[in-house]
Amino acid sequence: MAREKIYQEEEFPTPLLQLWHNFRQNPIIMIGFGSFLFLILLAIFAPVLTPYSSVENHLDKLLLPPAWHKDGDVSFLLGTDNLGRDVLSRLMHGASLTFGLSIIVVLVSTIIGVVIGSLSALTTGIKSSFLNHFLDVILSIPSLLLAIVIVAILGPGLENTLWAIIMVLIPQFVHVTRNAVTEEFEKDYVLASRLDGANSLRILSYSIFPNIIEKIISQATLAQSAAILDIAALGFLGLGAPIPLPEWGSMLASSIDLFYIAPWTVYLPGLAILFSVIATNLVGEGMRHALKVRKES
Amino acid sequence: MNLLDIRNLSIELESANNSILAVDRVSLSMKEGEVRGLVGESGSGKSLLAQALIGVLDERWNVHADRFHWRGKDLLRLAPDERKAIIAKDVAMIFQEPMSCLDPTATIGEQLEEAVDDGQLSGYFWQKRQQRQVAAANLLHKVGIKHHELCTKSYPHQLTEALCQRVMIAMALAGRPLLLIADEPTAAMESTNQGQIFRLLASLNQLKNMSILLISHDLETVTHWTNTITVMYSGQFVEAGTTEQIFNAPFHPYTRALVDSSPKANMQLPAKSRLMTLPGSIPILQHLPIGCRLGPRCPRAQQECVHAPKVTNYHGHQVSCHFSLKDTY
Amino acid sequence: MLIFTIRRLNLLLFTLLLLTLLSFSLSYLFPGDPLVNMTGQAQATPEHLATLSSQYNFEQNIFKQYWAYLSHIANGDLGLSMASHLPISSEIMTLLPATIELSLVALAIAMMIGVPIGFIAAIKHKKAADNIILAFAMLGYSIPVFWLGLLAILVFSIQLGWLPSAGQISLLFEIEPVTGIQFIDILLSDSEYKWQAFKDASSHIILPACVVALAPATIFIRLARTAMMEVLETSYIRAANAKGLTFGQIIYRHAIRNALIKVIRHVGLQFANLVTIAMVTEVIFSWPGIGRWLIESIYQRDYTAIQGGLLALSSFIFFVHIVTDFVYAALNPLAREPHHGS
Repeated sequence: MAREKIYQEEEFPTPLLQLWHNFRQNPIIMIGFGSFLFLILLAIFAPVLTPYSSVENHLDKLLLPPAWHKDGDVSFLLGTDNLGRDVLSRLMHGASLTFGLSIIVVLVSTIIGVVIGSLSALTTGIKSSFLNHFLDVILSIPSLLLAIVIVAILGPGLENTLWAIIMVLIPQFVHVTRNAVTEEFEKDYVLASRLDGANSLRILSYSIFPNIIEKIISQATLAQSAAILDIAALGFLGLGAPIPLPEWGSMLASSIDLFYIAPWTVYLPGLAILFSVIATNLVGEGMRHALKVRKES
Repeated sequence: MNLLDIRNLSIELESANNSILAVDRVSLSMKEGEVRGLVGESGSGKSLLAQALIGVLDERWNVHADRFHWRGKDLLRLAPDERKAIIAKDVAMIFQEPMSCLDPTATIGEQLEEAVDDGQLSGYFWQKRQQRQVAAANLLHKVGIKHHELCTKSYPHQLTEALCQRVMIAMALAGRPLLLIADEPTAAMESTNQGQIFRLLASLNQLKNMSILLISHDLETVTHWTNTITVMYSGQFVEAGTTEQIFNAPFHPYTRALVDSSPKANMQLPAKSRLMTLPGSIPILQHLPIGCRLGPRCPRAQQECVHAPKVTNYHGHQVSCHFSLKDTY
Repeated sequence: MLIFTIRRLNLLLFTLLLLTLLSFSLSYLFPGDPLVNMTGQAQATPEHLATLSSQYNFEQNIFKQYWAYLSHIANGDLGLSMASHLPISSEIMTLLPATIELSLVALAIAMMIGVPIGFIAAIKHKKAADNIILAFAMLGYSIPVFWLGLLAILVFSIQLGWLPSAGQISLLFEIEPVTGIQFIDILLSDSEYKWQAFKDASSHIILPACVVALAPATIFIRLARTAMMEVLETSYIRAANAKGLTFGQIIYRHAIRNALIKVIRHVGLQFANLVTIAMVTEVIFSWPGIGRWLIESIYQRDYTAIQGGLLALSSFIFFVHIVTDFVYAALNPLAREPHHGS
């Protein structure tokens, strides 16, 4: 019978596996990752999973407290609001709105921002300095103000809010990509490729891109939590999703008046936002930490 | 009496899975007024040894030795803080790349005055401030900088590397040390400046009877300026002796290879012939050979070399090799 | 140093110009008549419209229109608000100082709390204190600011009754609005109740300023921690250690200055973030600042107000950015002149 592994071999996993291995080390981050996946599943399958519809009014059961309260009813696990709608179902639908839309927003703005950023890093001279100053100007406008201006231009509605937030996130990606690409351009391996005859596009996609992808990913994770907070903030100010849609921020806004009689309608949407932002931040931190450890070892 | 006496110093790095012996039982001793060279390739652990001496290694490194005597006092019994205090009073160190060893946001004058020992001043604190400035100016004069006003007002990035190294030497002299450890002081300079720094160190040695431990990777420059040399390879002790002994009759194959690769030795070679080198390169920390670490590369290695050799002493010329070249002389 | 100042002033002027270009283009981008958007006179008669049109060069090409717009701004005329029919510049002059007050106090709180805690976390790296501080920073960074504001009002104003929940100062005090910044106005006025007014204004500002300061403070904690960890790894700290200085001396004399320099670079960028948070907080706490006014303007579709407010607020933010650049250059000798060679 032949034994297969006689010699002690060193195994060299691929970079992606290394990343996953580093990521798995920290238990808290894995909890965050689990919550993140849970939220994604909730966002996709919400219509199937919710016990009640998010707009169905139960007029006989207005302002019911959550199930652990003495007046509560276990069939409405987290209580109902002033129009008799089940808070749990609304929160779950809200996951697909606030959380799910934030992922879409981040993906779109990452792609557009990275493309614009790399192209602008290739330009030089007056065009480049003009773009640089223009970017500085946009970055010094508060993001909420910029979103408000864009919503004012485009008009109210959910789709326009999404475009507004996409346009607010793009300058940050352009800034990060531009800095990263310019930094890499100074390095010698790019010079070597260029001497081999590669044109700029090829250098960009083959040599530079795999090296800056880590910075882009960490910026994307930061942008994801910012996107959730921004969607919720716009919803809170009434500029986002229209009223019947159970977006978490607008749920919070419509329950301010009910603070005294039904405090859970204020606590619960806020906790939902907090939970999803913490999950996103944990995943982001874990990924940044894993990337750093992988680079060092 | 020896100024410094170290026997079998080992430095271990504790990593996640195992511990790596970065420096393996090295012995070193220095007398007063002696200039000793510590020679080895980069990766041989010489800088680690110097840093362990001063006490600036952090908690990852585990340092232990059989004997560590300073001016007759046994330092191993003391707590690390007390040891560091005693050493810091009498030993000073200068590093390579002196510009990055100076705080970029403080002027040279501020940093020099910080190094001036408080015990040497007297009087009230406004008098002390004045005295400190005078002391700083004197230190600059001692290292050969005559116009100290411009120097004290500048920031490190406004000076050249050689000037910064002189400033570092001045700061090291402030505590009136008995031993100066120079860790590759001229690695970042051109050869003209290198000569200046070495001449300065030699004059300090002669005038003040200050011992110098000169760490370098270049055997030839070291032989010009030192009385005795210790050679290290990959963390292990290889050979030690006076400069004439090492250069004219090296006992260890590694030292022989170092001497042979210097330009002076190669001048007798006929044209277009191969230069004499040792094949291979220094092993990395993750894959250290057992026993004598030169084994895989050594032309005289045999099966006995998997056991680490002991140090043998021939009239002050110490070698750590099973098959030394003593018999060929 | 002179060249640095000139370059910075150049940058400031250029950016302000770009901002005016942006706000000029907004009157075309907003729905409705561009002339009405620019001037704010929604109910003007046709003859009045004609005079306005010639004032703003609307018959001529776009460059002349931009030039007319610029000259109006230089004269201080930003148009009328479509909702209140008051000149926008006067509204901005009343409201902007309140926002300046809130955001600067919040910035000071965030820096004074965030930076030392970040330094402590870096010094105690890999020990329990570091992890606790990081966990707390992550929590602070994740809380939505409007929720935090509501909870703060609930706990501190309503349940505990310690702090007021709205406004800048109690209506009982009649302080002459000279600069608009409450604390300066109190000191300048000649009311007999100066000290009480001061205490009252302080109690009004604490809650909103702390709510605004939380998220930036956690960002500063993270920035300061990274900066201090980088500084502690450098050669000069190791050389200072070898020189014989104690740990405390090294931190106090060398590490703090170098780490602070690295942090201050980012303050300019973070300030825009802080003003965003301040805008939402102003709505919750009914703070009479420009953020709340802008948000109300968008409810009322007051496009002229949005244009003017955008210009004013962004100029203020950029001005603070330039000031922090100056502070950075003052502290860091390396940043003053451009480096040639090595």
